[in-house]
Amino acid sequence: MTSQLEFSASGLEVEIIPVEGELNVGPQHPGSGHMRIYVKLDGDIIVDAKIDPGYVHRGVEKLSEYRTYMKIIPLVERPAILDSIHMNLGYIMAVEKILGVDVPERAQYLRTLAAEVNRIASHLYGLGIWAIFLGHSTGYMWGFGDREVWLEILQALTGARVTNSYIIPGGVRRDLTPAIKEMVEKAIAYQRRKLQDWYKIFVNNPNIRARLENVGVMSRENAIKWGAVGPNLRASGVYYDVRKIEPYAAYDKVDFEIPVYKEGDAYARLLVRFAEIEQSMRILEQVIKNIPEGNILSDRFFKQIPPTRLKKWWEGQRRIVFPGYYASFRPPKGEAISRVEAGRGELVYYVISDGSANPYRLRMITPSYRTIYVFEQIVKGSRYADLPAIYGSLDYFPPEADR
Amino acid sequence: MDQVKIREYKKETNPFRLFADHLNAVATGLKYFVKPQRITLRYPEESLTLPTGYRGMIRLYKDVCIGCTLCALICPADAMKMVTEGGKKYPTINYGRCIFCGFCVDVCPVDALKETRVHDAVFTNRREMIFWPDKFNQDFDQPIPYQGVVKKVRAVVDEKKGIKYVPDE
Amino acid sequence: MSALYALRYYFFYPSFFVVIIFPGLIFTTIVLLLTIWFERKAAALVQMRYGPLYVSKRVGGALQLVADAIRLVFSEIIIPVEVNPTLFVLAPALVFTFTFVPMILIPYSAIPQSGSILSPYFHIFYDPNIHKGLFIGYFVPYNIILIMGLSAITPVFILLQAWATNNRFAIVGAVRESLLAVSYDVLIVMSLAAVAIEYHTLDIAKITETGIPGIIANPLAALVFFIGMLMATGRFPFEIVEAESEVVVGPSTEYSGLLFVLAMGGSYVTTFALSFVFSDVFLGGWLPLNGLPGALWNSIKAIIVLWFTVFLRAVYGRYRIDQALRGSWKYLLPVAFASLVLGLVVGQLWIR
Repeated sequence: MTSQLEFSASGLEVEIIPVEGELNVGPQHPGSGHMRIYVKLDGDIIVDAKIDPGYVHRGVEKLSEYRTYMKIIPLVERPAILDSIHMNLGYIMAVEKILGVDVPERAQYLRTLAAEVNRIASHLYGLGIWAIFLGHSTGYMWGFGDREVWLEILQALTGARVTNSYIIPGGVRRDLTPAIKEMVEKAIAYQRRKLQDWYKIFVNNPNIRARLENVGVMSRENAIKWGAVGPNLRASGVYYDVRKIEPYAAYDKVDFEIPVYKEGDAYARLLVRFAEIEQSMRILEQVIKNIPEGNILSDRFFKQIPPTRLKKWWEGQRRIVFPGYYASFRPPKGEAISRVEAGRGELVYYVISDGSANPYRLRMITPSYRTIYVFEQIVKGSRYADLPAIYGSLDYFPPEADR
Repeated sequence: MDQVKIREYKKETNPFRLFADHLNAVATGLKYFVKPQRITLRYPEESLTLPTGYRGMIRLYKDVCIGCTLCALICPADAMKMVTEGGKKYPTINYGRCIFCGFCVDVCPVDALKETRVHDAVFTNRREMIFWPDKFNQDFDQPIPYQGVVKKVRAVVDEKKGIKYVPDE
Repeated sequence: MSALYALRYYFFYPSFFVVIIFPGLIFTTIVLLLTIWFERKAAALVQMRYGPLYVSKRVGGALQLVADAIRLVFSEIIIPVEVNPTLFVLAPALVFTFTFVPMILIPYSAIPQSGSILSPYFHIFYDPNIHKGLFIGYFVPYNIILIMGLSAITPVFILLQAWATNNRFAIVGAVRESLLAVSYDVLIVMSLAAVAIEYHTLDIAKITETGIPGIIANPLAALVFFIGMLMATGRFPFEIVEAESEVVVGPSTEYSGLLFVLAMGGSYVTTFALSFVFSDVFLGGWLPLNGLPGALWNSIKAIIVLWFTVFLRAVYGRYRIDQALRGSWKYLLPVAFASLVLGLVVGQLWIR
């Protein structure tokens, strides 16, 4: 077995008394999240691990057949609450393709701004959960504490910390003010300074390095064969990111890099996530500097807002109000696919409309759903204590997989 | 593709380097031990004033409402329903279902609905969560639960400390 | 002899005073509560939050642990159906009791012939190696070895506790504890053997009274002993037996109420006993004071060592079991051998 070769090559072989049997790392376990993992152990080596998703299945795809298009916006945000801008953006991009409406430039930049702030918050959440799986309580608290800063920015921009419902067909709901620009600059300065301490206490900590190096190795061929997405794919040496392959929003107008690492183990995935936080901050600086003036809602809908409301809300507070069209609109018959690079990987939406107010079918393929197979394959042959380390490194979020 | 640069990380096996990294981690811990940086809000002695535009509880202005039912049509959680009072239609809201998305506020053509900045509402049973139009018409304000002076603060993003709380006048 | 004089004589008799009051049962329990408070507070200071605060605001929440202890003591003890009830209840009590036993044999201070409140006992607890009395529970001239031997019994009771629980997660924790027990015992014994060779004695009191603290004479032994102490008691980064995200709480998974307090408290008491040994051997013990003030000074040093080991919770994650074993046999054992050689050399040249 490959596991024997790995262990004898690493120096000293340690023979653990065989305790054979099944461990149920179930929903009520500090190291499992909301799902169950059936682990078959042979001593200390995991022979097989089966993931049992579905603990938080809410039937988003079926429910969306009975709601109008605007009502689905909060519904599709909820599976991955911490990444809700991306879930929202993918859906609206598909609906806009069916409606045939184009989005003004300022709205594209604002969508990019919100998406990158949310990507940083989502990565910090993932790092916090991963740190507590490894026992590092400081990484946990720092991940969530630093995330507070970015959530304050989203609260000022959209009105809510999570589940923002910020993006609507045709544009966005609220505009950027100088106060928010200043907040973003301060937050970037703070995060850059805090990342130095993160490196000293977490990334370069020899304890964490020993836990994560050569753990859960996924070679380049295996990554492509098993269908990994997102930072897991990029840590195995594959250069793929939807923001570069099929640019949406304003990503073709900003300059950023995609970090790709060769080793494919858990430590490489950690470094990819840290590098992505740095690149997101770079994108934010460029967006704030280069954002063009203009409207934030497409003209087709903007014309339908009555002028008195427009004067009070748009010129007074830079907020968009909905015309009555949004209450129930009937898009033409058609279907559309959209792809978005969410925090955890590639998110695909497929919407079919049959001319009525409810869609005929909504299909969403979330990145965590694709990670289920990868998880089961990677974990075979590693030690039991590597299970939380690998779980955290893949950044698997059970509600997102269950929808 | 432009700039396909595949990186590799450096593996550290020198024991003296490892010992130095251990000392570095402990030193960082001691640095924060000596000069802590706290972001906790001491609720309820300090209470947060939320920024304008925060999507909190909603308030109705009965005399402006024209009964067009757009808010009930667009509510994603079916929390707004219309009742007929004295020949006119008014909305009622069920806060057990409301998700505070703000769609009803945005869609109302005469601005009869307004967002307040209250987010910490408490009800003692489910029947109290349904607001009939008269109750909906009142300004929503929670009584302060703590005996003593409650300081109102605002959260400000700060470069050194992350979030700082400044008093709000 | 008046009644008051008799009372004073029997109250301050070291065998009673050391074992029950200071630094025995009562003092250790108070230090245990304060240590858990400090662990939570130190972690909170590093982690951008407050830690225990509301229970007693003026002292920074120090009475929080008293509230927690009262609550846990009065919680319901749930005994599962498929266990042996006698062993289930007995095992944590045995663990807690046996961790106190080494504290009887550690010397805490020296008694001068006159001038101290303890001088009446000068001849009863006379130590011929240092020509002074000793503030100790029971005097044995070879106490280093006896303390190590007694503190090596504890893993057996932890195994008994896990086996009595009849739970898979507990068994995994117990197997890890048994594997670790072999490796850390070797490290502790070797480092103390290096110090014993260097100072030409097996008596901790003589090691302290030479006036040269062990950390200067043999720093390698101090390092090995410290890391062995972390492994022995399950402090971060070696919190492998009770790894929360892998085996829930390890051997004490099924315990609740008073039994849980005993199971958890045992590891803190071991840390305290070993940190007394560390402060006596390596940090100069009770010098330059003696008598009761000397014991107090010794306790302060031991508490500082103890609080440093619990502070490490905020800095480290936890190692994997095979990494801890490999590290201790591959990296630390050569350092222990080097400390042995250093002890031999320095013992010949410097310390006579």
